[in-house]
Amino acid sequence: MMRILNILVIAALVAAAAYVYKIKFESTLQAERVAKLRHELRRERDAVAILRAEWAKLQAPLRVQGLADRHLKLKPLASAQLGNFDNLPMRPTPAPPPNDPIASLMAPAAPPETTGSILAPGAPR
Amino acid sequence: MTEIAFNAPQKKTGESRWQRVVRTLLYGANVDRNVKAKARIGLAVIAFVAVYGIIASKLVMFAMISEGHGGRRSVAQDAMATARPDIVDRQGAIIATDVKMPSLFAEPRRLIDVDEATEMLTAVLPDLDAKDMRERLSSGRGFAWPRREITPAQQREIHRLGLPGIGFLTENKRVYPNGPVVSHLIGHVNVDNQGIAGIEKWLDGQGLAALHMAGLATDRLQKPVELALDLRVQFALRDELAKARDKFSAKAAAGLMLNVNTGEIVAMASEPDYDPNNPREANDPTRINRLTTGVYEMGSTFKALTIAMGLDSGRMGLNTTFDARMPLRYGKFAINDYHAQRRVLSIPEIFTYSSNIGTARLALALGVDYHKAWLKKMGQLDRLRTELPESAEPIVPKRWGELNTVTIAFGHGLSVAPLQAVMGVAATLNGGLLIPPTFLKRSPEEARAMAQQVIKPETSIKMRYLMRLNAEIGSAKTANVDGYYIGGKTGTAEKVINGRYSKTKLLTDFMAVLPADKPQYLLLVMLDEPQATKETHGYATAGWNAAPTASKVIARVAPLLDIAPRFDLPKAEQAILVSNQVAR
Repeated sequence: MMRILNILVIAALVAAAAYVYKIKFESTLQAERVAKLRHELRRERDAVAILRAEWAKLQAPLRVQGLADRHLKLKPLASAQLGNFDNLPMRPTPAPPPNDPIASLMAPAAPPETTGSILAPGAPR
Repeated sequence: MTEIAFNAPQKKTGESRWQRVVRTLLYGANVDRNVKAKARIGLAVIAFVAVYGIIASKLVMFAMISEGHGGRRSVAQDAMATARPDIVDRQGAIIATDVKMPSLFAEPRRLIDVDEATEMLTAVLPDLDAKDMRERLSSGRGFAWPRREITPAQQREIHRLGLPGIGFLTENKRVYPNGPVVSHLIGHVNVDNQGIAGIEKWLDGQGLAALHMAGLATDRLQKPVELALDLRVQFALRDELAKARDKFSAKAAAGLMLNVNTGEIVAMASEPDYDPNNPREANDPTRINRLTTGVYEMGSTFKALTIAMGLDSGRMGLNTTFDARMPLRYGKFAINDYHAQRRVLSIPEIFTYSSNIGTARLALALGVDYHKAWLKKMGQLDRLRTELPESAEPIVPKRWGELNTVTIAFGHGLSVAPLQAVMGVAATLNGGLLIPPTFLKRSPEEARAMAQQVIKPETSIKMRYLMRLNAEIGSAKTANVDGYYIGGKTGTAEKVINGRYSKTKLLTDFMAVLPADKPQYLLLVMLDEPQATKETHGYATAGWNAAPTASKVIARVAPLLDIAPRFDLPKAEQAILVSNQVAR
């Protein structure tokens, strides 16, 4: 009885030692990985900081103003150019199409209202 | 016999039953040897089990608690300069940030050939002083900095030289992407990244310096500091000030935009200024921040405070009149008006004609002590302290008699920092709350919590009316901007040269409130010694130079501040007095 117990206890001791060794090895591995990741994170953060500083420099109002003065024909905004949505008039209702059969035979129906220079697809140029 | 047997076991009173059992088991003379041995082994087993139990429980504890700061390993090449938090404006645009730059260091003791090292280093860094370098490298010291903050390209070249005893340390360099646009406000740092002026210095005082001392501020983990500054408004203000300074050949130009409801300083510029990336020019005395470290007699803009005092006293209303027919004589001094009307003037007329005589009589009517107490209440007599470490003490007359009251009433006897005057006038317009100005973002609720009610709200409404009236029919006409219901007050002060007032050297300023019916912002534009030009017909007063500059600034800046243009608004009396039901 005691012998069996002794053997069991010794086996448990060996198993415990093996387990502890495994844990230690793995934790060292993980610690190295963590340190490596931290280092990489730091490098990435530094790179991001440099890029942000570069971006801020490129976006600086002083630089953009200089470029706009040299290359663009924009003028300063006047207060009369700003409006409110409340001040916009509603779209006028379209006029009803004329009911003249002879006129519609002579000339094709006018294209629907275009408000811009881009014609409706299929309309004659 | 029985008594003796009874007494023996109770020889040591106060001892527990357990202790007695253990004692007899281990040391008892009349106990069986085997039993004693087993008891001793059992005790040893218990002890070991306890120790291993503690180890096991600690293992479990370590596994459960998440890893703290124990795992941080500092890299050997780490920065020596503190990492500072980013400073951003209210929109999030970067004003100041840290960038890692390599710094070159040398260990002269380990150098093999000093001449070779000096030659090769000066080849890569041409502006390195060769003689000085040779001396330092042959000095035999342990450590020297040949050049701090070199570019990565230079670092690569020096690395390829393969010199022993030369190495690199990465340091944090403070970069200001906007250059001179934000200079006095943000301040600058020295080469060790310690703030020495402006908000940078304030940051140090907030505990960053303490962190640096403790060695804990080496990594970029701090949250960005949010300023009240709006970069676009700052740029527009500085641009217009620079143009005005050129146009009117002024010695200096300064401008400030204050949010009257929160006390936030949205823009602050003082030309001439410097580039915080090269702070060498910062010590030039002409490049000071004229708004916080200069004291000036503000001139007629101070009349806003005097008239507010009169209206708030309860003894005067908008219809009260003062006699401005004759110049006010005081001993050998005579106070005259610039646009002399030579008649009795009501308070609105005093404001719009900017009458010195009328304002002086108003102040005299209330008395020297009342005037002094009022100015103290409005914070004009004490040094105004903000986050900026630089501040100026106002020049207050030591003996304050009636003559002082008379001159101070129209802004000539008291020199204050312009920021103070702006704070006072803002209090007269925002409903009567005196809010200390700040450079950091602040919400209206926080501002109201730290504000003092110094004027009645009705007085504030009357002041808005007066400011708007001045822009409609008074001296602020030239500052009108189409679509923005502004109000304003001009001020032209003669500068004191050698103890006397000079007629040729003027300090002109203009305070504009935008919009006048529900004030949100107060703009100050100040020009130091502007000259007359052909367009100004030979005049150099504020209405000809400071006011038009303010109108240009407002035209550029109002859309950025979310102020929509409104056209065809009623006149001042209707829009302000009647709609708020304030009687004259």
